[in-house]
Amino acid sequence: MKQLIRMLEKTQITIGLAFLTVFFLVIMLQIITRYIGISVIWTEEVANYSFIWAIFMGAAVMVNRREHFNFDLLQRKLKGKSRITLSIFNDLVLIAFNLAIFSLGIQVVIEFWNYTWATIPEMKMGYVWLSIPIMAGTMVIYSISHLINHIETWKTKGVME
Amino acid sequence: MGFLLIGLFLVLMLLGMPIAFVIGIVALLGIFGMPYTPEAAVPMKMVNGLDSFVLLAVPLFILAANLMNSGKISEKLIDLALAIVGPIRGGLAHANILVSMMFAGVSGASQADAAGVGKILIPSMKKQGYDTETAVGVTAASSTVGVIIPPSIPMIIFAGLTNVSIGALFLGGIIPGILIGLGMMLFVYVIAIKRNFPKAARPELTKVGKRFIESVPALLTPIIIIGGIVFGFFTATEAAAVASLYTFLISMFVYKTLKLKDLPKILMDTLALSSLSLFALAAASALGELMSYYQLGTIAQEFFSDHIGSEWLFIFILIVFFLFVGTFMDAIPAMILFVPIILPTALEFGIDPIHLGLIVVITLAIGLATPPYGLVLLLSAKIGELSVERSFIAVIPYLFIIVVVLLIIAFLPEVTFFIPNLFS
Amino acid sequence: SEEADPDGDGKIKIIAAHNQTSPDNPYQTGMLKFKEVAEEKSGGSIEVEVHAGTIGTEESELVEKLQLGAADVVLVSPGFMTQTGIREVDLFSAPYLFNSYEHWLRVVDGEVGQQMAKIINEKSNNAFKLLGYWTAGVRHFYGKKPLESMDDLKGVSLRTQTSGVIGDFWEATGAIPSSISWGELYQGLQQDVVDASENAYPFFVQQSHHTTPNGKYITETAHDFTTRFLLINGEKFDNYSQEHQTIILEAAKASVEAERAATNKQDIDYKEKAIDEGAVVNEIDRQPFIELAKPIQNNFAEEIDAEQMLQAIRQLAEE
Ligand code: NA
Ligand code: NA
Repeated sequence: MKQLIRMLEKTQITIGLAFLTVFFLVIMLQIITRYIGISVIWTEEVANYSFIWAIFMGAAVMVNRREHFNFDLLQRKLKGKSRITLSIFNDLVLIAFNLAIFSLGIQVVIEFWNYTWATIPEMKMGYVWLSIPIMAGTMVIYSISHLINHIETWKTKGVME
Repeated sequence: MGFLLIGLFLVLMLLGMPIAFVIGIVALLGIFGMPYTPEAAVPMKMVNGLDSFVLLAVPLFILAANLMNSGKISEKLIDLALAIVGPIRGGLAHANILVSMMFAGVSGASQADAAGVGKILIPSMKKQGYDTETAVGVTAASSTVGVIIPPSIPMIIFAGLTNVSIGALFLGGIIPGILIGLGMMLFVYVIAIKRNFPKAARPELTKVGKRFIESVPALLTPIIIIGGIVFGFFTATEAAAVASLYTFLISMFVYKTLKLKDLPKILMDTLALSSLSLFALAAASALGELMSYYQLGTIAQEFFSDHIGSEWLFIFILIVFFLFVGTFMDAIPAMILFVPIILPTALEFGIDPIHLGLIVVITLAIGLATPPYGLVLLLSAKIGELSVERSFIAVIPYLFIIVVVLLIIAFLPEVTFFIPNLFS
Repeated sequence: SEEADPDGDGKIKIIAAHNQTSPDNPYQTGMLKFKEVAEEKSGGSIEVEVHAGTIGTEESELVEKLQLGAADVVLVSPGFMTQTGIREVDLFSAPYLFNSYEHWLRVVDGEVGQQMAKIINEKSNNAFKLLGYWTAGVRHFYGKKPLESMDDLKGVSLRTQTSGVIGDFWEATGAIPSSISWGELYQGLQQDVVDASENAYPFFVQQSHHTTPNGKYITETAHDFTTRFLLINGEKFDNYSQEHQTIILEAAKASVEAERAATNKQDIDYKEKAIDEGAVVNEIDRQPFIELAKPIQNNFAEEIDAEQMLQAIRQLAEE
């Protein structure tokens, strides 16, 4: 499991960084082409959609690393088992939410698959919407692995007390 | 229904759920409760919320700031600031403020400043005998100018939400940013004399000159960014890309302080920080959608024109409201949620959207340094190894200075528009 | 959640949306008329909630909402409709397709209009049903110098749609189509980022473009008698009762009249306002432009499989 998560995270980071690089280069291309008087119409759209992919992949990785900002006031106050219980509850809520976003995301992908990009009609909007279920799906996987960890700690705590 | 959702918001937040997800969950449940709207509107809006060219400036400005820190450009700026204000009593504290103002000219956010400058100056201030409170307070407070002096990510978001000119908003931020910096330096000067803070020996003029020349490539960055936008050479997003490229080039080839092998980490840090705030933005867009269906903007407008009737009172209420929101929410989601609601009222009262933007951005900048959720406060406290509570007490006097400048800006629009008017 | 009549009490609610935030916009006039008639004729069993930009200032977003069922009646322009995969609609955005407002009326209110409605409904699998044709006015050129002939466009950077048939047309005139967002355009004209732009009086005068050095000279090119589609979610429409369907169609008809009248009035009012505020308006011989547009229209119609419709539209020009 740990191995799998690590590989998943690495893949996702690579994808995220690749899209980040793409949109940076495309914006540079946009500036350069404008100054030499060539009109490349697709730059803005390609940059936007790469950006969306980069952000969503990054956001999923941040779930695995638990870096999304939160208030840990209560968590810091609680000790031992009740603290783990709270973590388990939070994991479950996250899983439920992301499962919902995953399935709604699939619905959106299907609904809008055949919409086309404005500047490149050959490209389908489905490729953009796909980022949603992939983000939510990986968030579910990461949260399940957190949940398993928390349940294991909860069990060992139970033995100790 | 509304109260139920607000309650849910608070409960989930206190339970320690990540804020971005709390926002998303409330949006999802809220739309679930609306008979006419499909839940799929939530993921749809998350994508649409991000689908805006101006937002691309966010990771790019973060990249520029990260490059500045990794390329040790911040250290050059600190050296320059020390050479200029070091000989004043409380020199390090003055330099802390001055370098924040210079850093702000490159960076669109405040975190990178607090992290980069704080990491160097907080330890050296402590070493020279400043109390930790002053070191942390000055660092946290002065780095808030990062979003007030242009470029500014919150201003870009505000411009995107209201369709006002980014260039004009940027120009409007210069005077308040400088006033805040000078106000803080004045305050530092007074307590420095009272508490006899150390000062550095006056450096030779040639040394100051040398430091200045060294810093010129870095100091050119704000001129390139702001000049480029205001004179129409490129858009805000393009300016952010140019800033990153320029910072990369000077730290690679002029200062030779950056190595290619540092790049993956810099890019990863950039992706991490920007995806955190932009995912929150995506979630906030979904929640904002819910508020749009309830037409809260129209409701607010009717309420204010029926019951308030005075634009000044409205501005005052606005400031108090955003001060409150800013304590527990980042500027970006706060603006996504509430700017569309207050905008119709502001326009009805005849408030210039640029004026409104400056008020909102400066007010939310204060939230960067207030608990429970104030990123630069948390960062500075961590670097200074001081509790958040004591850090906050230390930062209060400086926040008071920002509030004074904010009130000047809010109620004397002439100050706000002085520089933008020069250009139009 | 989403149902036509969630309470089963025979009452329905319709969310109607357009992308313009100004309350004075003709779109708002049209939508409010739709609301008024639908609510009045149904004795309150239809409730219409009008959103002026509040659930989306981007047309693409409104179309997506319509398909999803998050909005029931929306207004969109041909350019955005084509991104839903229905390419034929874009024919209506071809420059100089219509030579007068009357010509436009004959097309949209006649057989061609019906044919287009059928295409939209079939190609969208009944996600979209056309309720009527609105207009966003007549688009003209405005820039830093008046146009005396087409040669004056050589090398002029012009803010317009850069892709598709519109971009192709302006490129053929010698102008350089540039993309700049609507919100940044005032500044762009002020600071020489672009030399010129093109739009209908109510839109650019409201944004004060005519007060900038690069927007002061208006040449009435009349290159586009614009079409806007008033659409309803077809699946939901089919689920409404017969009576409600009839009322909605009547309300749509009333809205069409109200919106067109409001736009035509604003076209005149805002032209006057522009002149009062120092703009200079001139006319130009449109024939060379019309000739230039013809082969571009032909190619475009071939590309999107709308040749027969193009011929039908041209035949209506002379009546
Ligand atoms: Na800044
Ligand atoms: Na600082």
